[in-house]
Amino acid sequence: MILSGKHKSFLGSVLIVLLGIFYLAAQPPGKPGGMTVVSTSSASLLIQISLMIRAGSAHDPAGKEGLAYLTGHTLLQGGFGNPADPVTKEQLALMTRPWGQGAKPSVRVAKEATTFYITVPGDVLEEYLNRVLRPLLSQPLFQARELDRIRAETVENLSGALRYEDTEGLGLNAIDHFIFEGTSYAHLSSGSVQGLANVSREDLLAFYTTHYRPEYAILALNKGDATSRARVSKAVEKIGQGFDQTAKLSRAALKGPLSFRGRHAVIVSVPNADSSGLHAAFPISVTRHSRDYWPLYVANVFFGVHRDGFSHLFREIRQKRGYNYGNYSYIEHFASRPRSLFPPFNTPRSRQYFSIWIRPVAHRYALHLLKGLTWELENFVREGLTEAQVAAAKNKAKVLYLNLAETGSRLLNVRLDDAFYSQSASGYLDHYLERLDAVTVEQVNSAIRTHLKTENLKYVVVTHSDQAENLANQLAGDLPAAGKSLEEYQIPNIDHQGKEVHAISPDKLEILQKDAVWGSYRLGVPRDQIRIVPADRIFETGEFVAP
Amino acid sequence: MKKGYLLLLLALATPTPAFPQFFPYTVAKKTLKNQLDVIVIEAPEFKHVLSYNTLVLAGTRNEIEAGKTGLAHLFEHILFRHRWKGEVNGYDRAINRIGAFNNGWTDFDVTYYHPLTFTSRLVPHQGEPGLPQLEADRFQHLDFDEEIFKTEAGAVFGEYRRGASDPGLKIREQLLTLMFPDHSYGHTTIGYLEDVKDMPNEYEAALEFYRTYYRPNNVVLVVAGDVHSEQIFALAEELYGSWEPAQLPSIPVRGTAPGAKREHVTWGADVPPRISYAYRMPAFQPASAEGAVGQMLSELLAGKTSPLYQLLRYEKKTASQLSVYSGDYESFDPRYLALSSTLFKDQYRAKGTAYLDHVIADMESAFEALKRFSQDPDASKTLEELKGKYRYDLLAMLDSPANIAMQFAWYYRFQRSPRILDLLADAIQALQPADIDAFATRHFLEKNRVIVTMTPEEEQ
Repeated sequence: MILSGKHKSFLGSVLIVLLGIFYLAAQPPGKPGGMTVVSTSSASLLIQISLMIRAGSAHDPAGKEGLAYLTGHTLLQGGFGNPADPVTKEQLALMTRPWGQGAKPSVRVAKEATTFYITVPGDVLEEYLNRVLRPLLSQPLFQARELDRIRAETVENLSGALRYEDTEGLGLNAIDHFIFEGTSYAHLSSGSVQGLANVSREDLLAFYTTHYRPEYAILALNKGDATSRARVSKAVEKIGQGFDQTAKLSRAALKGPLSFRGRHAVIVSVPNADSSGLHAAFPISVTRHSRDYWPLYVANVFFGVHRDGFSHLFREIRQKRGYNYGNYSYIEHFASRPRSLFPPFNTPRSRQYFSIWIRPVAHRYALHLLKGLTWELENFVREGLTEAQVAAAKNKAKVLYLNLAETGSRLLNVRLDDAFYSQSASGYLDHYLERLDAVTVEQVNSAIRTHLKTENLKYVVVTHSDQAENLANQLAGDLPAAGKSLEEYQIPNIDHQGKEVHAISPDKLEILQKDAVWGSYRLGVPRDQIRIVPADRIFETGEFVAP
Repeated sequence: MKKGYLLLLLALATPTPAFPQFFPYTVAKKTLKNQLDVIVIEAPEFKHVLSYNTLVLAGTRNEIEAGKTGLAHLFEHILFRHRWKGEVNGYDRAINRIGAFNNGWTDFDVTYYHPLTFTSRLVPHQGEPGLPQLEADRFQHLDFDEEIFKTEAGAVFGEYRRGASDPGLKIREQLLTLMFPDHSYGHTTIGYLEDVKDMPNEYEAALEFYRTYYRPNNVVLVVAGDVHSEQIFALAEELYGSWEPAQLPSIPVRGTAPGAKREHVTWGADVPPRISYAYRMPAFQPASAEGAVGQMLSELLAGKTSPLYQLLRYEKKTASQLSVYSGDYESFDPRYLALSSTLFKDQYRAKGTAYLDHVIADMESAFEALKRFSQDPDASKTLEELKGKYRYDLLAMLDSPANIAMQFAWYYRFQRSPRILDLLADAIQALQPADIDAFATRHFLEKNRVIVTMTPEEEQ
């Protein structure tokens, strides 16, 4: 029998008694301290619990970048319960093992949210809540040795893997950092190398007692019945009450000015980049909460929908010209790239940016394609979309629904974002299809003109150290830059009345004509706004480039 | 308790259960006269969702000619460039008009195509073809020319470059070369760099690959979602019935063991050191005791509760990551299982190769310990817990029609049984601690072993 004999506890009865004492000290049951509870009604035998805390890396104090990340991860791995006889992370792993991988809680730390995920077989829910979830959330120990271990591993990942093993991830994180330069929103959600080093256990306690409170929590459950909601809420509502109040931290997510003027470029130089990845971005005021969200969403599906051959950028740069693997644009930050095909939920942001991502191309085409992508964006704003293009984009956007709403977990976790963006009464996925249907061509073109302004742009190029200087000079000189040659486009030479001429088909001619337009476009990035940054100088501190 | 759990599953999903089952959906199977297997998994709770999947039993394994690696993967790309009705990119355009998420992947034994759309797209609508029509057409009457081929070969090179920034690819390439001196498993799915570069010149070879392997007797159609088996079977007869089967070439199964190899590779940037410690495995059979042991190995060796994980990550703090991907073992011919670890840069700087040797010795001990697994007083308890974990994890993965179909297809190919996931679950359930000992003793032998280490270049 799978389930027999698995409940033997390491803890004995000590913890249960402690919990009893703790109950008495906590607030009486009733409205759970302002906590928001959302749910779906799944028939699954597995219960899913997701808990979002409305605080993330944007709440890290200056010089302590990584505090939110370390708090979330040390909460799960730093032991809980009675300090004299704690449930260690090893015991937690053993305790939850028979219930599947999802029973060991996991966490995602984003800019403004920290979300915990749990999946547990329904028939052990009560035991799980009592032995794991309640004490974990209300009696975390944040053991210093675990903090040190998690910190060392995070630093190792930031200073090694992210800089030197994944040039695409490096570029994506760099543009996210660059666009919010000078604000508390800028640094990575996992912090900075030096910021992580400055975080102490006392800092974790301050972050936990400030932010991990029912009034900042949103609970999501895949069972909609009142009993299940009450049971789980009761276990969660004690969060943040395990300590006497320590120092209070600021609840403001965005500190520092966001605006910049003109065009700026950063060339990140990496010793082993065998091709160049290109990024361009600027902040926009549109979020899921905004009226223009859906028209702009449709526009972006047309222009650069992620990982899909449908989009304009993909067709122009990959399909027609074969430069690279893919080319995309975004109206919201998309976490988990380059791996994920679809955006994960629970990385909500009250500040968003528009961005273009040209996946790595051969170094010699970098300038040509920087010009090309900018010309394409300007042209997109100039021309807008036709009725037929809007219809096609809406059709494609509807298909995305199949993926966005594909699994039970996604249907559940999107409700946390709904609550974050105050959409609890009318959910993102619930009304996705009908909101798309309602979008008109006038709304799309108006949204494009209102929000996509190309005069203020930031570029990031990730390239080989040997190429960086040359590219910076080319960029400053802003001379015409050629793309692929006739040979590369496989345009044959033929004999025509005794002379050798190029036989250019009408579709190839169209490509060559546009190449000439791209190549002669002027980017206009002033020389003093072009910086070369070695990979080991970014993610080092809260500043975009470490001094 | 277990029985109650299973009966509840049945009540939810199956109107006429013949036996207690693990897989919570009804599976119907029909084999057409041309030997095309059609599988329908009815999952009506996913309303209006049609997951329409084609599994081609050809992958890296079938690239048996030297200098022509990566063709299976390239062909996956070409299938998306099909000229439906003779129009350039016609298939892709038609897919966009009818509205479908469309993608595919290539692995060692198989290539998998998995469009996802609404069930209303099963049949033609307003002058547009149904999805099954489009799919049937590209698998039977693929239309492309050398120019399309060359453009797509360029995109594959781009994909190689994209992956080349991952040190893991370099380690894998080295590992496979050593592990399979005389089998097509010896190269990665994307192919050797020089072959990928030369791909634009392999049009004829690629065409031959298609003609040989894209045959009904080498393909399985798996349709899942809000569908009815009778409708799908009728459509399959109509659209695939005239597809001609063909004799398939046999793949030479060469059994040369690698013979205790250890190699070192370097990386041109300051990355953490890595170790990949691998053993050659037997051919995989999901419903066998050996296959079931294989499913447990990733937890036993590298799971968060495994002794090695505790030792390396928490006690000695000599590794930051430890993993085993069991998919490496799930293949038609004998493949391998690799225990991979990521180490710390500063410890390597301080201690050099001795640090790597130390971790390797610990990894070796973990493999050795499994030969005496049953002697551990907690062996039965541990195994029972891991079985529970396996079951719930598999169940948790069956969370959408696309995932249900993919899990099913992945294992179905081995035994062609519609009950394959139940057979797998049964085999897991029947496992005893002594099975672990037997497996480890039989396969974790020096002659089957390959170790690859990687450190940053400048440290050499």
